[in-house]
Amino acid sequence: MVKKAITVAVGGACVSAALVLAGVATSAAAKTAAKSPTSVSCKNPIQIGFMGPFTGPAASIGDDQLHWGEYFEQIWNATHKLKINLVQGDTQLNPAIASTVSQSFASNSSIVGVIGPAGSQEVTASAPILKKAGLGFSSGSATNIALTNGSLKGYFFRDVPNDGVQGPTDAAYMQTHLGVSKGSSVMIIDDQESYSTGLAGIVESALKKAGVNVDRESINQKDTDFSSIVAKVTSSTKVVFTPFQLASQTQLLAQQLKAQGKTAVVFASDGSFDSKTFNVPGSYVSFFAPDVTTIKADNAVVSAYNKVFPGGTTPFGAPNYVLAEAWAQAATKACAAGKGTLTRAALRAAFAKTDLSTTILGTPVAFTPNGDVVGAKFHIFKIESGGKYVTVA
Amino acid sequence: MNWNLFVSELVAGTVHGCVYALIALGYSMVYGILKLLNFAHGDVYMVGSFIGFGILTVFGGATALSIPIWLLLVIMFAAAMLGGGLLGVGIERFAYRRLRDAPRIAPLITALGVSFFLENAALLIVGAEYQSFNSFSWNPNSSGVGQLWAIGITLPGNVRLSLAQMIVIAGTVVLMLALTYFVGRTQLGRAMRAVSFDRQAADMMGIDVNRVIAVTFFVGSALAGAAAIFNGIVYQQVWAYMGFQAGLKGFTAAVIGGIGNLPGAVLGGLLLGLAESFTQGYVSTTFSDAMVFVILIAVMIFRPNGLIGKPALAKV
Repeated sequence: MVKKAITVAVGGACVSAALVLAGVATSAAAKTAAKSPTSVSCKNPIQIGFMGPFTGPAASIGDDQLHWGEYFEQIWNATHKLKINLVQGDTQLNPAIASTVSQSFASNSSIVGVIGPAGSQEVTASAPILKKAGLGFSSGSATNIALTNGSLKGYFFRDVPNDGVQGPTDAAYMQTHLGVSKGSSVMIIDDQESYSTGLAGIVESALKKAGVNVDRESINQKDTDFSSIVAKVTSSTKVVFTPFQLASQTQLLAQQLKAQGKTAVVFASDGSFDSKTFNVPGSYVSFFAPDVTTIKADNAVVSAYNKVFPGGTTPFGAPNYVLAEAWAQAATKACAAGKGTLTRAALRAAFAKTDLSTTILGTPVAFTPNGDVVGAKFHIFKIESGGKYVTVA
Repeated sequence: MNWNLFVSELVAGTVHGCVYALIALGYSMVYGILKLLNFAHGDVYMVGSFIGFGILTVFGGATALSIPIWLLLVIMFAAAMLGGGLLGVGIERFAYRRLRDAPRIAPLITALGVSFFLENAALLIVGAEYQSFNSFSWNPNSSGVGQLWAIGITLPGNVRLSLAQMIVIAGTVVLMLALTYFVGRTQLGRAMRAVSFDRQAADMMGIDVNRVIAVTFFVGSALAGAAAIFNGIVYQQVWAYMGFQAGLKGFTAAVIGGIGNLPGAVLGGLLLGLAESFTQGYVSTTFSDAMVFVILIAVMIFRPNGLIGKPALAKV
């Protein structure tokens, strides 16, 4: 029995030692991976990571973003000596997967900057990893206001306005155009993700200040049955505001409201901007970028893009073209200053000084010290019959 | 009393409960015969959904149907039930048959493996994007509402019960009656009951046990296929991971009713659907999943064999 006890104790000690060694090794590897590399040569294509939801429920958004980034890559490489190469990382709009992709980018010493992630919750999950690795990263669609509160100063940038602009814009439009006034009712439903709850809170606050009665509800991104929500929409509910990340859920809710004869207008946020998926006539959608297909100055670019990537585009895509352009311009400046070599820190610093006087978005792009784009605004679209999105504000 | 909310939740809970009941039946049937928890059953339901979506696409898609809706539904049900059934038979034949006499953990792990395989196969073949039956757009009326939703009756509380929801409820009742007749009045049903009671004795009495088990898997999986179409025409969305959530709820319903007990599976499904709906309506939408598992825990504490399950006899 004593012999058995000794055997067990020795065995346990060996297992513990092995676990400790494994933990130390993993930690050392992680530290090595997270350490910023020294420099890359500008003679080789500059590797820019591109994180997006290329598969999953938001794949239509991710593909659109990627295609515009790739389109810029093609035309830039055809006309410039300094080449860029976009390295894809599929996040499926999932923060856990975004963390894994971030780690792989951070560990890849040839990647010197990142476009993406797309979703606000993904940025939150990826930020500590990318920041620790010294990588600058920029999103063409993450709009949560907290992302540019200063904690990621010099590391995170976005060329789209944040929800601090979207929320008041949406609330103001509801009051000026949709009959929402003091004493009337609005239902606001979030999908429990940080993007949604943040925006819902901003709109709720703005409406309550105006004396509007707000009924706040919450669903889960996996929900498909909204009967309890629909039952709470009364004849006095003017608007149902749905800052969902999944256009399919907004479509489902709008259809279920219609099936029960509810007259409240569905007003969705930029997460639902997808004319193939959310297309119930009479609804509204706000979005952080204009529809470049309606900007005359972009006709040639859009026409050429459609030849390379036929199948149409949405306003989700163009901001990533601009980001790719900003990274390419920043790399050019940083390579010149570094005399043919480039570091993550130098590229980040050059990117922070981006000053594009004309872009396909129809507005110049420059960043505030905290990483927000200077002077951008949100746009409101109305869904007409046939599911067509028409700009109304 | 807000009758609109009450009746609305009653309808939603019943419809959801019907879907859960059909899935739970598959779990109960397989457990009754083999004492195996077939965790791949939820993914058979997922495959059935994609079969239905495929049929819809073949006949023009939601906005341009080339055949009448009634014919589309018949073809969808037939294809999903047959496809689901054959998939179930295939899973039994290749993944479970050889493990019949193995320790219980082995087929359980295998079932999980089959579940992952089916999910990832679906991802590879059809992609990860959400698809939609979009039954709201099937042959729309002048207001743009599809026939399955435009046609309906108005219940007390001014709640609309649409044709789509009526199809789910009526269809579930028909399938329940058919299953009851099959299990209770046919020779094959008698053989299934014999095998579930004592497999070895049934084998010695000349019953082809392999065939009976295959039929059990076929029937259970066919019911999952039917549940998939019901879910599709009411709740629209189809995606590769939908089977996990549905399978979990179906399994929970089967356990609540009494695993291995067919009427219990139906009771458990309905109870689950109603509990979810009323919690969403009267407590909070965020708490509905938690409520389901609170009920499960309570049933397990006070009625460990389920609401109408019977304790298993063990020879001593």
